[in-house]
Amino acid sequence: MNGITVDIEHLKKGEVSLGTSIMAVTFKDGVILGADSRTTTGAYIANRVTDKLTQVHDTIFCCRSGSAADTQAITDVVRYHLQMYTAQNGKPTTKIAASLFQELCYTNKDHLTAGIICAGYDEKKKGSVYSIPIGGSIHQQDYAIAGSGSTFIYGYCNKNFKKNMTKDETVNFIKTSLSQAIKWDGSSGGVIRLVILTKDGIERLIFYPDEYQEA
Amino acid sequence: MMLPPLSFLPIFIDFNCIFSPDGRNFQVEYATKAVENGGTSIGIKCKDGIVLAVEKVVNSKLLVPGKNKKIQTIDRHVGVCYSGLIPDGRHLVNRGRDEAQSYKSLYKEPILVPSLIDRLGIYVQNYTCYNSVRPFGVSAIVGGIDDNGPHLYMIEPSGVYWGYNGAATGKGRQAAKSELEKLDLPNLTTREAVKEAAKIIYAAHESNKDKDFELEISWINYEDTKGRHESIPEELLKEAIEYAAAQSDEEESSDEEMEE
Amino acid sequence: MVGLSFDNYQRNQYLAAKGVGVPKATSTGTTIVGCKFNGGVIIAADTRATAGPIVADKNCEKLHRLSPTIWCAGAGTAADTEMVTQLISSNLELHSMSANRSPRVVTALTMLKQHLYKYQGHIGAYLIVAGIDPTGAHLFSIHAHGSTDVGFYQSLGSGSLAAMAVLESNWRDGLTKEEAIKLCSDAIEAGIWNDLGSGSNVDVCVMEIGKDAQLYRNYLTPNTRAQKSKSYKFPRGSTAILKEDIYKLVDVEEEVVNLDTMQVDA
Repeated sequence: MNGITVDIEHLKKGEVSLGTSIMAVTFKDGVILGADSRTTTGAYIANRVTDKLTQVHDTIFCCRSGSAADTQAITDVVRYHLQMYTAQNGKPTTKIAASLFQELCYTNKDHLTAGIICAGYDEKKKGSVYSIPIGGSIHQQDYAIAGSGSTFIYGYCNKNFKKNMTKDETVNFIKTSLSQAIKWDGSSGGVIRLVILTKDGIERLIFYPDEYQEA
Repeated sequence: MMLPPLSFLPIFIDFNCIFSPDGRNFQVEYATKAVENGGTSIGIKCKDGIVLAVEKVVNSKLLVPGKNKKIQTIDRHVGVCYSGLIPDGRHLVNRGRDEAQSYKSLYKEPILVPSLIDRLGIYVQNYTCYNSVRPFGVSAIVGGIDDNGPHLYMIEPSGVYWGYNGAATGKGRQAAKSELEKLDLPNLTTREAVKEAAKIIYAAHESNKDKDFELEISWINYEDTKGRHESIPEELLKEAIEYAAAQSDEEESSDEEMEE
Repeated sequence: MVGLSFDNYQRNQYLAAKGVGVPKATSTGTTIVGCKFNGGVIIAADTRATAGPIVADKNCEKLHRLSPTIWCAGAGTAADTEMVTQLISSNLELHSMSANRSPRVVTALTMLKQHLYKYQGHIGAYLIVAGIDPTGAHLFSIHAHGSTDVGFYQSLGSGSLAAMAVLESNWRDGLTKEEAIKLCSDAIEAGIWNDLGSGSNVDVCVMEIGKDAQLYRNYLTPNTRAQKSKSYKFPRGSTAILKEDIYKLVDVEEEVVNLDTMQVDA
């Protein structure tokens, strides 16, 4: 396994998986997360409007890929830890949240199928993105892509990402990237969901197939 | 139910976890007495870091000068000095190191100084709740630098802790406190504070004049130690001692009455 | 001991090698659905239970009560859906008593998903959880491995594909209660007719904000047995009696006891 594609065979029989296209991109004012909305059990689409962008703190989110059960369980544990952290030490940074994801993914690597991108906005580092692929390593990046659909857009993203883009540029970059990932990956599909994290808080966007397919 | 006869009252002294009828915990108060007889310790919070200094009373001429360090490091960015029972202090520092490491293993970054103090405060307080243990016989001055700048705290045997610009404890604390109050602490640099610290420890030693002592100073700042807690360099210590000696000669004439 | 026991694993392996098969759990090859409407939520289920190719029960109950206003439809292993539902129902009541609040649907959902996740899919319960709580009406689904989904409509079980086809084509925003009941029962019927694992009747449970939950047991019975045009019962005396013997198997003795003279220890 190369840590990018999700090995579907590794999932237990009948397990629900997020064969996925997810990404997170830093930009001028913060960070934007994006994801498709397809959840599958084998060949059946168990949910066509899934929300794979999950909140773990005020302005820290994660994109989930791999086993739905595993990633939901991890996210619940991280959310708990961040609540404890807030009570004991005050506002957590995105790095703290990402470190918690990394610790859980590494120590339980033998039992987990989870590829996570953790992204958030904090006063110190503004927008930041951490990728935590399947083995439990951690990588800070300007932008990150993951999930089965991401293999199709490595080249596109590499050519078109620019540092310090505007909000509209970034939304368009994610929309076109994910629409290509969805187009070529059978396990990705449905709507494109975005979460925009800036000093002003959280903004959610949704794009339906009619709109993103022509982009 | 009958109240115990008055002659039984002294039993409250023996029980660490029991209040006296007027709401005091005698064991904690006695622990404070142990602190008041220890060598003087001070801490200074400056605009660029922290300075810690202690008066080490030399009990034997056989001890090697400069080899018996009393100021300890909890984590790379946190230092601590204390007055009172030295073994108690070493145990507290050990716990502080465990807490700092456990924080780092979970969050992958150095512990914030207020969080460390909070955990140590809880630990010390626990020793006032059970009969099988006695309270810590130390007041510890903890200083460190984190993402939010320099911090200085002092933890007392009861487990209570306060944040200070300048903290002093031990035998000469009254003299040290009145000296600290004369300084413009928020605008002091650590380099200046090292000299003042030496002067204060020398002044505080006046009440304990009959015994020999050694001065130990450590610091944390951004420029010289890159945010790490270290002993100050040999030359700087020498310079500070010279400054302190010169100052105390000057003030010899206007020697103040010190209460103890 | 709490939890699953694997004590018999080796014995079972040995028996399997000897050709003694492992007993099969009754699987509710099932159709269950749920759907939100204006002012509440509905769940529905078929009533067939199967054990392999055999119909084990023609009119079983797949709608379980977690609390008076939170109900749950179960698919998968019949024993597991029943037991996990009873366990969580019990814990939910204890929780609501200690918290002095009526239980919430998300609480039931979290307790169920954490329990199922702990057992890593070995507890074969696939559930649709729905109900009313102080925060409104809610509808969720849970898979055996512990993953959960949210939605306006859900379907689960072997007949979920047939049911989803009905839900996808007929669902719209802002359904009335009556329309939602019709939609759900139609979806279950699609499962009954088109899925081999589902059959018999339709059970419906309606949970409406501000009202008690209503269980409509056998809301639809589209599989009642038709009256046979002839009776095939043999009349009495169809079989000739050739010989009759009566044996006295018990001796009966009778004795009169006077109650007034009986001594009773104080």
